[in-house]
Amino acid sequence: MQNNGKIKITINNQSYDVENKLTILHATQQNDIFIPHLCFHPELSPYGGCRLCIVEVDGVKGYPTACTTQVKDGMTIRTHSKILQEMRTEILQLILSEHPSACLICDEAEECSDYQGTIRKVGFTTGCRWCPKDKDCELQKVVEYLKIDEIEFPVYYRNLPVEKKDPFFDRDYNLCIYCGRCVRICHEHRKSSIISLNNRGRYSTIGPAFNQSHLDANCEFCGACVSVCPTGTLSEKTKKWSGIPEKYNSSICSLCGLNCDIQILTKENKVIGTLPLGDPHLTGGELCVKGRFCLIELVNNPDRILEPQYQFPEGLGFITWEEAFLKASDKLKKADGNKVAVYLSPNLTLEEIVAAKQFAQQVIKTINITSSVLTNNLIPYISLAEKSISIEKIEKSESIISLFLNGNYNYAPVTLAIKRAAEKGIPYLQIGWINDTTSRFASHHLTPETGKEKEFVKEIVESFEKGKEVSPEISEVMKLFKDSSSTIILGPTILDLTEAKEILRNIEKIIKLTGSKLFVLNPYGNLPGLLSSVDLKPHQDILDKISKGKIDSLYLIGDSPFKKRPNVNFIIHQSPFPPSEKLKPDLILPTATWSEISGTYVTLTDKRKKLKAVVKTSEKVLSNSAIFAKLAKKLGKQELKFNKKELSKLIPKKLTIKLPEFNSKPKKNIVQIKTRAFPYTLIQEKNLYTYMGMYLNQLIEGLREIEPEETLIINPIDASKFDIQNGDNVMLKSHKISKKYPVVLRKTISPGFIRLITSNKTFEFETNPCPVKIRRVNV
Amino acid sequence: MKNLKKKITKIFKEFTVDEENLIPILQKIQAEIGYISKQGVEEIANFLRITEGQVYGVASFYSQFRFTAPGRHSIKVCLGTACHVRGSQNILEEFKRWLLIEPGETTEDKMFSLETVNCVGACALGPIVIFDNEYHGHMRIKSVDELIQKYRTEYETEREVDK
Ligand code: SF4
Ligand code: SF4
Ligand code: SF4
Ligand code: FES
Ligand code: FES
Repeated sequence: MQNNGKIKITINNQSYDVENKLTILHATQQNDIFIPHLCFHPELSPYGGCRLCIVEVDGVKGYPTACTTQVKDGMTIRTHSKILQEMRTEILQLILSEHPSACLICDEAEECSDYQGTIRKVGFTTGCRWCPKDKDCELQKVVEYLKIDEIEFPVYYRNLPVEKKDPFFDRDYNLCIYCGRCVRICHEHRKSSIISLNNRGRYSTIGPAFNQSHLDANCEFCGACVSVCPTGTLSEKTKKWSGIPEKYNSSICSLCGLNCDIQILTKENKVIGTLPLGDPHLTGGELCVKGRFCLIELVNNPDRILEPQYQFPEGLGFITWEEAFLKASDKLKKADGNKVAVYLSPNLTLEEIVAAKQFAQQVIKTINITSSVLTNNLIPYISLAEKSISIEKIEKSESIISLFLNGNYNYAPVTLAIKRAAEKGIPYLQIGWINDTTSRFASHHLTPETGKEKEFVKEIVESFEKGKEVSPEISEVMKLFKDSSSTIILGPTILDLTEAKEILRNIEKIIKLTGSKLFVLNPYGNLPGLLSSVDLKPHQDILDKISKGKIDSLYLIGDSPFKKRPNVNFIIHQSPFPPSEKLKPDLILPTATWSEISGTYVTLTDKRKKLKAVVKTSEKVLSNSAIFAKLAKKLGKQELKFNKKELSKLIPKKLTIKLPEFNSKPKKNIVQIKTRAFPYTLIQEKNLYTYMGMYLNQLIEGLREIEPEETLIINPIDASKFDIQNGDNVMLKSHKISKKYPVVLRKTISPGFIRLITSNKTFEFETNPCPVKIRRVNV
Repeated sequence: MKNLKKKITKIFKEFTVDEENLIPILQKIQAEIGYISKQGVEEIANFLRITEGQVYGVASFYSQFRFTAPGRHSIKVCLGTACHVRGSQNILEEFKRWLLIEPGETTEDKMFSLETVNCVGACALGPIVIFDNEYHGHMRIKSVDELIQKYRTEYETEREVDK
């Protein structure tokens, strides 16, 4: 019987009106009837693997699985008959016969879990008490539900080695029940398809092709598979032994300009993990590796500074805050405001930024406020960003063109939008040398000729302006521009190119000529907030002043612009993290940070995002605003308020990005094209991903493995030509420079290209890109 | 390697870019090249616009596909029911012990590759081992080593003669 699209079915002798096109499992769930299940996941395609959800349906032979069978009008279903429960018990016993399950059926289970709290940190899981998922495991719950207390089948331990070499999460496939959720979420939701169900029967395994490591297989370490695993098979290295969180707090990630929504998992006043929003056991894939695995390692980093310190003549020593305020105010009282430079990090919240501004302008009385990220190339890049569209619009464009996007470990919401769009048939064109998670979805992948990147974009402009004939490659781009309203996605690698400014200028022209939309990827958390609430000076101007002796004191707030101490009298380093070793600041003031303070971040489209305080810091660490308040008072400015309410009054209602004028002398750039003698193209990249002036990959080991510095990243195809293995040393030679580097092999870089990431302020090789040749160094 | 690429590219010409073609492509490559190499998986993935993981997941499910170059001689141990009850598992273990390889692999000297099959329709002769195309019925553990040695010596003498 149809009534408003609903059909009538009978479950356990009771009749229900349910929507058509539901599965039996959904129908029972909607009506609060519990059927045990393990492989089912509400947002993934049904798999029918665990067979725990079997039901009886009148007129249907055998026992269909509820998660894969659709309801039909007039269906009569039984979900809990005696035979079903018996079969479920048997099925579960079969599963358990291949799963270390001693603790599940042990008589002493309860006492044991109460009294043996410390013996569980072992490499092998031989029972629940030694499993990272203990008390949070879906298998345990089903065992409890079916009241299993013995296993009739002979037990079999797979004895597979625990996989621990990859960064961020470990894998113990001895615990795997082959529910396939990890495989499906990686494929359907994240659209990365890194892992698959391999082999068959007793030899089944889960993992990348040919047992490669996840790193070699281009896994993005998004952690989706880890979140959805019902067992302890996949476990986060940092969270493994933290147990069940007490609270899930919503907040945001501060590690790039997308400011993804996240939930922070806390326990006993400690951050124990981060996840995307939604049911913690079912969601995953919305974040990049930084939001999923790095934030926790930042706040809990053992390197954090936790007490004020002062540089005494005999060396660095701890002091009390009272002493610290005295020393700081003494110096600042005597200082000439015009000779003090204040540095701000783009990871500060809006409230912290306006507090710092108030302090700088009214207490120190300086106009020298800057941020080390404000380089001369960033200014035109961000000025383009003013026209950036909101992220939701990416999927709605008619075609997408990405320029210099490196999306494997960054900007997850953008790469996901691209992949979803491309799957729907929206043409996607990728320009650049990176082979990232979106590449497989690109209808075309173009790589500008080395040294002719500018010509590449220029050709497009000229073809539009003057109808010039173009190369067949570029005609593909032109076609997209002409046939559809495109969105250009611009990645920050462009900032490092020798001709960045010219390329950016031409991109601006293209946008004007074609009416395309633009999405600019911003690597710095709250850069829009910083730029729109303070008139910053270009960093170069401040550097010039320092070298001319016009600045004698530095107040560094979360920024860490110098590797070595510049020639100044006094430096205050105010940050959650220690200064670089050779900076030798006079005063070190530890501050609270992400997860310990609340505040606001702003995206490029002026969306305000709320950062929440979810844990308390130790009393020896203060917030930036508290430090400013104390110092202002000491310096006779008690009328200035630094509490939250007053600070939020200082934040403009509408935030528009203000960029400083900068007088760059037009200089002739030298570029080099590829030749036979130098057949490879070196791409040098400044290490962009920082937090409070710290390079993320220097603080976090896992990230360092993924994106190592001062190491050549080359494609395995190129490596095989020289018989180069991971870790070998290679001599890299350009026209002018030759230098030895270790090598890692990654498929994320296209063949013919070599990536070199550095945190030095200047590049080693003469041009970027730079034609080079390589030679293996024999040891 | 280039040669392999050429062969594979030629095979692709017969197919359209459609995931449905994965198994036919695998079969064709196996038939013409003898096995599915790492590079083969990579090429197929690129061609079909899927990932290596997806190709490997499917290919490794079917025992008809092998991932290492076949050796000079193929050894197939039947693990069908009839052979199994007559102890073919032990025969397999013995081969593994002598050759130091797992089923699906090839010995380091590229002489032998070991495989398992499920019933070859000669149950009465079980346990059965097929050496190249030669059927050896009523196999005994003792004869495993003998067989291996026999083929090894044959090869040695062949080489002597060649010299
Ligand atoms: S971490 Fe993400 S990309 Fe990697 S295997 Fe898991 S789901 Fe796939
Ligand atoms: S690893 Fe976890 S999610 Fe993946 S199949 Fe095994 S039990 Fe399921
Ligand atoms: S994409 Fe950006 S905001 Fe989102 S999780 Fe990654 S670093 Fe954080
Ligand atoms: S939940 Fe239906 S078969 Fe696993
Ligand atoms: S079982 Fe071995 S031939 Fe039939």
